[in-house]
Amino acid sequence: MKTINVSFRVNDEPVAFQVKPYETLLETLRERIDLIGSKEACGMGACGACTVIVDGIPLRSCLVLTPEVNGASITTVEGLAKDGNLHPLQEAFMEKGAVQCGFCTSGMIMTAKAFLDRNKKPTQKEVIKTMSSNICRCTGYKKIVEAVEYAASRRTSVG
Amino acid sequence: MILPKFDYKKAEDIAAAIALYESCKGEARYLAGGTDLIPLVKLRLSTPAAIIDLKGIEQLKTISRKGNSLLIGANVTLFELKNHETVKDYFPALYESLDATSCETLQMRGTIGGNILQNTRCLLYNKSLDWRTARGFCYKMGGETCNVVPNAAACFSNYCSDNALSLLSLSAGVKLAGPEGERKIKLEKLFSKDGRNPFTSKPGEILTEFHIPFKRSTGAYEKLRVRNAIDYPLLGVAVSMIGGKGKVCVGGIGPAPLVYDLKDLSGAGLKEVAQQARQEARPVSNTTLSAGYRKKMVNVLTQRAIKRALKEGK
Repeated sequence: MKTINVSFRVNDEPVAFQVKPYETLLETLRERIDLIGSKEACGMGACGACTVIVDGIPLRSCLVLTPEVNGASITTVEGLAKDGNLHPLQEAFMEKGAVQCGFCTSGMIMTAKAFLDRNKKPTQKEVIKTMSSNICRCTGYKKIVEAVEYAASRRTSVG
Repeated sequence: MILPKFDYKKAEDIAAAIALYESCKGEARYLAGGTDLIPLVKLRLSTPAAIIDLKGIEQLKTISRKGNSLLIGANVTLFELKNHETVKDYFPALYESLDATSCETLQMRGTIGGNILQNTRCLLYNKSLDWRTARGFCYKMGGETCNVVPNAAACFSNYCSDNALSLLSLSAGVKLAGPEGERKIKLEKLFSKDGRNPFTSKPGEILTEFHIPFKRSTGAYEKLRVRNAIDYPLLGVAVSMIGGKGKVCVGGIGPAPLVYDLKDLSGAGLKEVAQQARQEARPVSNTTLSAGYRKKMVNVLTQRAIKRALKEGK
């Protein structure tokens, strides 16, 4: 079967590949450019462990075909740290102990980032609603919600 | 899970999409958000030779008002529609069903057209090919039996769209474009009531647009689910009232929603509709909750939804 030329930006770096038409974005990120922060858990779009941000919108990358994102700008969890400093959300997750096994964490952080980018002063209810998009099978939701709220409050205090 | 081989094509407009479909000799599927289609393809429940991406078609992404109707393009995402200025005020049942659909991340990807055209589901159908081969194919997979109800004559798979119920309660219509031209039908007519092939749309047809009468309504949507996010309805009830008359739609049980008119708004009238819905709903043991519980809940949620719709009206 013929391949398709796609080019897009990942974490501000332009990339171009010849991909199979039935290749998912998750496979491309993990297998072609070693960005293994995004995880495959259910593979069916239910759990959110593979969440990445495409043009500002959080997407389940296991449900997206790579040809679909031609020309898009993608952020993965590897793209959050800047100049050796962790993103406030990553720090908040560490500080609040919002990590147990860690498999859902990158998806949680990407969902939270897209949310905080569009909602600067979220209420606890809004945080819970948004974070319910992702599943944590250690069921450590309380600390995850606390971490997102903490990151939001720190962000507003900084400005 | 790895996808099977298929070709990917992107259409720039509706005519091009239909031409691509015809060039694939019926072996293609249209792709919008992909939140229903891609899992089905991963499980080998759908094995298209090509996937035609409709996301590049600008015409399908607009919401507009024309005369006395609100026109909603089929590729408007559930999240966009939920946050549209008129939806919450004018169509509260639709707002609530959109809000109850899956979770926010999937609402941002899933489209209203795809949500309506999602395939029916069953605990013994949405499984891997290995699992299904070991169990034996049922009616919906092209076999000769139902794996849930032995000796059943029909397929009992459940139609699990939340938003079809609220759109039905708002008397919505749909526009389809296909190789034989365009046609407009009532949303009710889209359902074949056969779980094997739940829609009356013809091969190659694209659902392009919904139209809803633009009248302020009161309404409510009640959903039975085991989690409060991500899961499909195990029963859903939508009610919309306009000018003292209402429509009640019950879904999530069986291959097509049930629609009832609500004329008598007295306590006895509500109970009668709820009782009728309960009698006509035929749940079987193909979800995570028992059939008996779901049947009882038809009565409960129907009354609850009607009461909420009436209360909002006051």
